[in-house]
Amino acid sequence: LQIFEYNGSAVVAMVGKNCFAIASDRRLGVQLQTIATDFQRISKIHDRVFIALSGLATDVQTLYQRLVFRHKLYQLREERDMKPETFASLVSAILYEKRFGPYLCQPVIAGLGEDDKPFICTMDSIGAKELAKDFVVSGTASESLYGACEAMYKPDMEAEELFETISQALLSSVDRDCLSGWGGHVYVVTPTEIKERILKGRMD
Amino acid sequence: AETLQIVVSSSPVPSHANDKESYLWRSHTGGFGTTLESRGSCKRNQGIENQKKSERKVSSAVSNMSRRYDSRTTIFSPEGRLYQVEYAMEAIGNAGSAIGILAKDGVVLIGEKKVTSKLLQTSTSAEKMYKIDDHVACAVAGIMSDANILINTARVQAQRYTFMYQEPMPVEQLVQSLCDTKQGYTQFGGLRPFGVSFLFAGWDKNHGFQLYMSDPSGNYGGWKAAAVGANNQAAQSILKQDYKDDASREEVVELALKVLSKTMDSTSLTSEKLELAEVFLTPSGSVQYHVHSPESLTKLLVKHGVTQPAAETS
Repeated sequence: LQIFEYNGSAVVAMVGKNCFAIASDRRLGVQLQTIATDFQRISKIHDRVFIALSGLATDVQTLYQRLVFRHKLYQLREERDMKPETFASLVSAILYEKRFGPYLCQPVIAGLGEDDKPFICTMDSIGAKELAKDFVVSGTASESLYGACEAMYKPDMEAEELFETISQALLSSVDRDCLSGWGGHVYVVTPTEIKERILKGRMD
Repeated sequence: AETLQIVVSSSPVPSHANDKESYLWRSHTGGFGTTLESRGSCKRNQGIENQKKSERKVSSAVSNMSRRYDSRTTIFSPEGRLYQVEYAMEAIGNAGSAIGILAKDGVVLIGEKKVTSKLLQTSTSAEKMYKIDDHVACAVAGIMSDANILINTARVQAQRYTFMYQEPMPVEQLVQSLCDTKQGYTQFGGLRPFGVSFLFAGWDKNHGFQLYMSDPSGNYGGWKAAAVGANNQAAQSILKQDYKDDASREEVVELALKVLSKTMDSTSLTSEKLELAEVFLTPSGSVQYHVHSPESLTKLLVKHGVTQPAAETS
């Protein structure tokens, strides 16, 4: 029993020109059986910070609820939203708290920081941060995603082109992974708007 | 040794006439304390007792003993009172007032700012109004440092509930949980009570808009209109006469400004001395907590005719 592959997931985030895109698959499975095709992996922390969690679904949900708890208190005390870099440090700290009994998820964090500069990062299940300038991936389809993103990515893409690129990378990668797929969920975030789209790919 | 005994027995017998608490007395709990009444503290206690319950016959012997029960918060006096809690309420009676009024479509909170100096950074600090969660806010009267602790406690309690049940905490439960904390300080630990009274304003899907008032004892009640802080009794009686059920938010704001202008001590009513906040539902159905800006407040003061020319401020 590989616990990280119990539910199946695919998550990717990419940086564009003053914008970012974050995408995930929609399958929730119990090993080989698919039990939901509309599972929410990407969650909004606030208008400019998104987090997507891959891995064990129960930890995905609980960890998200704990992060909402911490962010709400931060907002009340500091009277402002958290910067994406700060939020990433918070997630890393919360994951490391459980160093010897970890949350079985790998987060991907994406946000717009100061001056609308896009920020993405990923970390392992015990909080080791990995910042990237181009794209980050996570989940059972991560190896395919690495290959697809490396091939399709180019820097400074506008929002529409970024959407096309990330969608193609996601759909082609999940087709090579039996545990993820059943469509895609993509958020493209610019300083002025958040565009949410559902993708229809191979529904298997 | 013989010489020492003579010295001790030749000291004068302690009595009220000495007017000095210079002797140690074995107190009722077995410890030692300077609990023999001095004339000064005797008179002070008699003064407070007379002020509060003038119809009761207070014998001097009883009011002497009452001093003994001041030093512990967790002990009843012979008359069945908790003095520390009452002293906390005295402290609040000297602080800036706050008024809350329920409207048909919202709750209005208004507070009087006691600290007004040109040098104060008004943009960054709120003195009277605080948000507890997206659907609950509160106004504060009393010792600010005590209030900060309780506000933080309330915020964490609200988030803990939301984490557990994935929905916003009902307003009354939040108030009750905070009051349970306050009550603890009147029963255990030997710590003094919090010197703060709160007015909680919020909305939940079970009971709609609500207003609660809580005091240092940990008592709370749901109110249609309530006042805490300085001159709260005067404000409460004006509210009793002028409050109307199912008023709109604009009418309630007008009432709140009028009541505050009548009960505030200061000679001029300007937007710097006030904080006004409203809790209401947006058209999309989410709860909003909105604090008025100084400009908006000034406009309201002029509109309702309660602004007075500012006196020469130092």
